[in-house]
Amino acid sequence: MFSDLIFRLRALFRRTAVENELDEELRFHFDQQVEKHMRSGLSQQEAIRRTRLEFGGMSQVKENCRESRGTNLLETIGADILFALRQLRRTPAFTITALLTLALGIGANAAIFTLVHAVLQKDLPVANPASLIRLGDANDCCVGSGISDSMSYFSTDAYEQIKNNTPEFEELAAMQAGFAYRPIVVRRENSQDPPRSSSGEFVSGNYFRTFGLQPFAGRLFTDADNQQGAPATAVISYETWQTRFSGDPSVIGSTFRVNTQPVTIIGIAPRNFFGDRLISNPPDYYLPTETMPALANVTYPHDPKENWLYIIGRVRPGTDVAQLQRKVSAILRNELVSSGRLSPDHDKIKLAQTHITLIPGGAGIQAMQEQYGDHLRLLMATAGLVLLIACANIANLLLVRGIARSAEMSVRTALGAMRTRIIRQLLTESVLLALLGGIAGLLVAYAGTHMLLALAFPDATHIPLHATPSLAVIGFASALSLITGVLFGLAPAWNASRTQPADALRSSSRTAASGASLLQKGLVVFQIALSLVLLIAASLFLQSLKKLQGSDMKLNANNRYIVHINPQAAGYSQTQLDALYHTMEDRFHALPGVTKVGIASYTPMEDNNNGWGIQVHAHPENRTISSILRVNGDYFDSVGTHVLMGRGITERDTPTSPRVAVVNQTFVRKMFNPSENPIGQRFGFPGAENNSAWEIVGVVEDTVYQNVRWKDHLMFFIPTMQEPENRKDPIDKDESLYAGAIVLATDHPVDGMESITQHTLASINPDLTVVRFDTFNHQIAANFTEERLISRLTMLFGGLALLLAAVGSYGVTAYSVIRRNQEIGVRMALGADRSTVMLMILRGATIQTALGMLIGIPVALLCVHFVQSQLYEIAGLNAVILISSVLILSVAAAIAAIIPAQRASSINPMDALRME
Amino acid sequence: MAGDHLDLPQGTLDLLILRTLSLGSQHGWAISERVQQLSSDALRIQQGSLYPALHRLERRGLIKAKWQTTENNRRAKYYELSKKGRDQLEVEKEAWAKLTAAVAQVLEAM
Repeated sequence: MFSDLIFRLRALFRRTAVENELDEELRFHFDQQVEKHMRSGLSQQEAIRRTRLEFGGMSQVKENCRESRGTNLLETIGADILFALRQLRRTPAFTITALLTLALGIGANAAIFTLVHAVLQKDLPVANPASLIRLGDANDCCVGSGISDSMSYFSTDAYEQIKNNTPEFEELAAMQAGFAYRPIVVRRENSQDPPRSSSGEFVSGNYFRTFGLQPFAGRLFTDADNQQGAPATAVISYETWQTRFSGDPSVIGSTFRVNTQPVTIIGIAPRNFFGDRLISNPPDYYLPTETMPALANVTYPHDPKENWLYIIGRVRPGTDVAQLQRKVSAILRNELVSSGRLSPDHDKIKLAQTHITLIPGGAGIQAMQEQYGDHLRLLMATAGLVLLIACANIANLLLVRGIARSAEMSVRTALGAMRTRIIRQLLTESVLLALLGGIAGLLVAYAGTHMLLALAFPDATHIPLHATPSLAVIGFASALSLITGVLFGLAPAWNASRTQPADALRSSSRTAASGASLLQKGLVVFQIALSLVLLIAASLFLQSLKKLQGSDMKLNANNRYIVHINPQAAGYSQTQLDALYHTMEDRFHALPGVTKVGIASYTPMEDNNNGWGIQVHAHPENRTISSILRVNGDYFDSVGTHVLMGRGITERDTPTSPRVAVVNQTFVRKMFNPSENPIGQRFGFPGAENNSAWEIVGVVEDTVYQNVRWKDHLMFFIPTMQEPENRKDPIDKDESLYAGAIVLATDHPVDGMESITQHTLASINPDLTVVRFDTFNHQIAANFTEERLISRLTMLFGGLALLLAAVGSYGVTAYSVIRRNQEIGVRMALGADRSTVMLMILRGATIQTALGMLIGIPVALLCVHFVQSQLYEIAGLNAVILISSVLILSVAAAIAAIIPAQRASSINPMDALRME
Repeated sequence: MAGDHLDLPQGTLDLLILRTLSLGSQHGWAISERVQQLSSDALRIQQGSLYPALHRLERRGLIKAKWQTTENNRRAKYYELSKKGRDQLEVEKEAWAKLTAAVAQVLEAM
């Protein structure tokens, strides 16, 4: 073994010496043989001639020797690579097409897979994510008293019951479910920095410990921070510390105002930690749950009947999860009974059904995963198809190249090249091509991932996703293209090297005169079929997006601005709100150009909703849940909702005037008979004494709230400050009184509206900040971000597929024209005119295209079935989409065929025949 | 040159080379001459296969090469058996004997 290695190495490093020795050895043999022949009486000349004949090809003998020395592989790879590079440079059209195809195919896939991997598969950057378990498998949010069969968010009381009775968990942490919907306002004390709306998450004291995290600086929470009456503390995220406070170490220990209350920053979270879930704006601050009632002015953290916490725990090694699941479910059922939420007598069935499902918690709360999952998988499939088309293209290019080079191979074989040597050379070329394509693909992937993230999260201030394409993905895509390259580059090489050189040389190009092979045509048919599928998908998603955007949302977004506010975080109590709203109305009306100042709990086309259980007085059997908004007098006009019957809310609807409500058309349709007049009807909370709380004074059209897909939901609107007359709770328990948004309508577009708004609010109260500022149009457009992303990407992929298929089709047709040059020459010499020749060439291309479409249409029909749920109001494949896709593909295929056909028809018969 | 030359069965070339070299170190040409002579002209080794075989055997460490001067004062590459080669020769000889005996037995049984 060792001598073998030395031998090989010597041959490799002392190459010249070894080569010289080989020369000398063979020359010696030659001379001896000549001498021998001369001794037997031949002349020197004759002896040399005979010896030469006996010897055969000297270079072949040498090559065989090199081969058996075993150094050849190492030694020739370098030479092969150089030669391959030279070959690739000699055919720039082929090389560029192949590299572009590979780069786009590999790059697009790597980008998509990177995003998919980051969103769907990645664990949180915490210690040992595998032993984390989440309680609950749904993403119910954010605060609610409902009890679902499979519970996934819990009350503080339930959390503590489970935590105290499960030694199976090393740690069990709780975290605010809906922090994304409840921003906090933060200001650093003694600084010029104005208060800022930030993202803050309330978490249990063992939160960081559960995740096994160490602080970047300072300290993280301990259980002592989460005791009632403990001084308010907060942990700041590394990202926020860097971007907002440029890494100032004095932040630790300093006092911040959170919703105007003093809070001490105790430490900085670890560098990469972005909280317990993937979200486009992760928490800037972490705060203990016990401080929430004081800081956020809410009561539910101490209400045993309100769910608001997600729970993630770390189990001890060797814990039986199935058994643990039964145990936590039992604890929860006990708690539901002891807290009085369910009665063991009346709610027997409900109680038996209620349970908690345990799921792996390493990836945290998978809300984004749930939201984007379907779309990402769709994109993955699309990108995969593009890669297939790209591979087919590469295969075709290599096949054509291989056949075109069969003559070259014959010559090489005739000159003594060994078959294995030729195959190795071609293999080197394919591998090199794949590697170069892989590198180019890496660049495309890098840019593509950045683009994808920007497209997917256009409004995110900070996305905790990294745009670094994963190596595994690049490796996979490169390997696929490599296999394609080797497989399809090798087949013609093998054929070429097997032919008898003499035959091949004699017949020159006529051996393959039949034109493109069946395999090549098959590949083109395959490409056309796939591109049709992708084109149809692209048109479907485009049409779906158009429908979504074009749907009548029954609102007016022109010259409207939505200013999200948070008076609660600014320190206002409920009793101060009436005055605040009046001040806001006055101040904003005073601004030049402002025509309407709407104030409302939330606005159309934003991700927010509040629902109350209601009952109609005249039909007590009609109990349901309706969305509810508190609005002021200008509100309907400010968003462009038309009053259809009766009147809207007006400024005369004061806290003490008769309690009124305006309902939407769906409310009327679902709660009253068609013959009934809804005006004057009464409804309220369920229960005989509550169900006449409000009198309906008007009906408005069904303006779209939340999103276009949420249709037919009931809504009612009540004045900002009116409470039902028989309300028993004190007013300062009613959180619904806090308005969430101001809607400004102006008579012309106003530049710098955001800063004007900021100043106006600050002039009322410096703590009153803009939580989010948007034009109404942008708020609506943001609703379609995901759909737009899907539409754009499927369009991009469809276009890419079309381009690749066209290139493939062009390649095959153009190639067959070259192969049939002489045949065409003969035909024309025998009287065929140019149009006949053109038709002959076009016929082949047309058959391919038609075949591809025939295969593509049923495949597309099948695929539509899978994406149906992701489309908006599009029932399957319609004629418009089908015809337009077929047309686009036909045009592309026609262009790809006409160019070579034109060239065929312009062949000069004399030239063609002389070419031999 | 015409004569009843036999084609060498697969694998026998190595055996022949080893056997020839067991008589003493030789250069390539002499090996082929020797084989031809010992086989009464029935076996001929083509240069095209002789030298690759020699290089292969050298790589496997069965033979060693060194440059020496011939009687005619020319430099030539001489091959000789190594210890390993000697062992290998015994193994192959035995295998060959078994093979031929077996083949002969079958042929006679027919």
